[in-house]
Amino acid sequence: METTLHSLYLGFSVALQPANAWYAFLGCLVGTLVGVLPGIGPLAGISILLPVTFGLNATQAIIMLAGIYYGSQYGGSTTSILMRIPGEASSVMTCIDGYAMAKKGRAGAALCIAAIGSWIGGTFGVLVLTVVAPPLATIAIRFGPPEYTALLVLGLIFLAYMSSSSLIRTLLMACLGLLLGMIGIDNMTGHFRYSFNLAELGDGIGIVPVAVGLFGLGEILSTPSADAVKDIITPRLRDLLPTRKEWGEAAMPITRGTLLGFIIGIIPGSAHVISSFLSYALEKRVSKHPDQFGKGAVAGVAGPETANNAASTGAFVPLLALGIPTSPITAVLIGALMIHGVSVGPTLVNEHPDVFWGFVASMYVGNLMLLALNLPLVSVFVTVLRIPYAYLYPLIIMFCIIGVYEVNNSIVDVWIMLIMGILGYALRKFDFDPAPLVLGLVISPILEQSLRQSLIMSNGNYFIFFTRPISLSLMMISITLLALAAYAFVLKRTDWRTRLAKAEAGEAEK
Amino acid sequence: MTLRADHVAGAFFIGLGLLVIALSGDLPTGSLSMPGSGFLPKIVAVMAIFFGAVLVARAKESKAFAELTWSDAKHAALVVAITAAGIALFEPLGFLTTNVLLIFALLAIIERRQVLPATGYSVGVVVTTYVLFVYVLKTPLEPGPLGF
Repeated sequence: METTLHSLYLGFSVALQPANAWYAFLGCLVGTLVGVLPGIGPLAGISILLPVTFGLNATQAIIMLAGIYYGSQYGGSTTSILMRIPGEASSVMTCIDGYAMAKKGRAGAALCIAAIGSWIGGTFGVLVLTVVAPPLATIAIRFGPPEYTALLVLGLIFLAYMSSSSLIRTLLMACLGLLLGMIGIDNMTGHFRYSFNLAELGDGIGIVPVAVGLFGLGEILSTPSADAVKDIITPRLRDLLPTRKEWGEAAMPITRGTLLGFIIGIIPGSAHVISSFLSYALEKRVSKHPDQFGKGAVAGVAGPETANNAASTGAFVPLLALGIPTSPITAVLIGALMIHGVSVGPTLVNEHPDVFWGFVASMYVGNLMLLALNLPLVSVFVTVLRIPYAYLYPLIIMFCIIGVYEVNNSIVDVWIMLIMGILGYALRKFDFDPAPLVLGLVISPILEQSLRQSLIMSNGNYFIFFTRPISLSLMMISITLLALAAYAFVLKRTDWRTRLAKAEAGEAEK
Repeated sequence: MTLRADHVAGAFFIGLGLLVIALSGDLPTGSLSMPGSGFLPKIVAVMAIFFGAVLVARAKESKAFAELTWSDAKHAALVVAITAAGIALFEPLGFLTTNVLLIFALLAIIERRQVLPATGYSVGVVVTTYVLFVYVLKTPLEPGPLGF
């Protein structure tokens, strides 16, 4: 514990250096804007701004990009509550009761509860990350290929099970992502795979063009400017404080959302999105007045908003301790660190303590900055929403092109982004969620290598995954989840996931 | 029988799986004890075919294909065409010229904005972005034939 406190002191001495604090602030500010603006989520935002960090050192780069990530979770609530438009996917559930509260004249209170809940969830996540990540990194050194394989398989199955779209659709997207991840030179044999004699494809398809194409350009293609909503409720500053009754109603959902979000966050998958869906379902289940949900229930705002921020921070635990990207966003963050010559994994904490602890400490600072930014400046962020969409999306397209091109100075990457944009448009038409595709692409090289190494280690015996304690535990969880999903699928039962999907679809149609 | 959205989507994934298997012909599958470079791609392709077939089998739960709305398709096609032209011109013309043309085209052709505001906006945001990236953030952008 003493060592942790000493390390944290080192972290704060790094995070509070004026330049680093400035980049944390910049990340939080840009993240809030990314969250506020519909059509540009945290993944596209981080990918587009990746080249901006090339001139920074590794610590400043990761501090700024992480600030964009958790800042967008804060900002996403603003559009959900004031316009019933989720600024990004994890804010979908907040639309339901947040907007209903706004219609009742409680927009300020809803924003305040969302911001305070987000701060508590985020700060709790950082506290646990501080304590858990270093010892977990020590254990992670004992992880071999079978354990990595089992963990990644669990991540895919968990994502499929928790997804609000159907299990089959999620698995198909993951398959497509895995296949895209296999393009390029096979690291173990040197064979060129599916590269069609294009030298640029030798290193494979990057995460950035795929993510920016699917989430940035794909969203723009699906959103003609005439459809953009302009009806915005602007809260007054004096209305921001919730009443004593509202605080009372928010307390337990914030507590539950914090714990639930963090736990979901450390499991591979689109944690921040899933956690908000689960938190909403949980709050409705435990509420004494479930009929109030959809009509402005405080718990329907407090729980999901807290959970998505706790999950965003929780996702950093496997990233920093194991070096495993549990979501497309953390994969881009790993890419950013690798560009700066820092390899993420169990050795990070010892080899680059200034990066590790500076980053952890910056999240404490960043969460405070976000609280200070989001409450008093809400009317400023709302003003951004008044920029006509017709003028906004050409700007986003320009940033998409710059962001993708600057990573490798490759025009092929920009063409890939355009193709992925068209694919993203088509996937939306056919009700497919693109997130599992990106996750499949991210984990594909690690999964393939660890699976093949495991089989070579065991001389072709698949039971290697069931003979080692850690991989056995992970595989058993995967099998249980698959069995539960198959049970609902075969009997065509309407479980909580289906009901949530219907709630989400209903909200989208409004 | 009504053609449903999931019939089309499932058929796409079955076709994709078959295509991957066909393209993997020259990749060695190897053995269980020494998997080759074609090992996992073929497994994933078979999974895609299987899940695609399940999607087709349960397609009656999805919307009829004819019910899918394509009202935004014209907007999407125009954005794709203009962006594709922008990408094609990006390296020959450089950042400044290409993006001024790109934003102007999007505003004037798709959004039907008047020439003067569209020109002012496109030149203003592109030059501001150029100054921000090159001079403030020290991130070089693709130069044009005149060196900027």
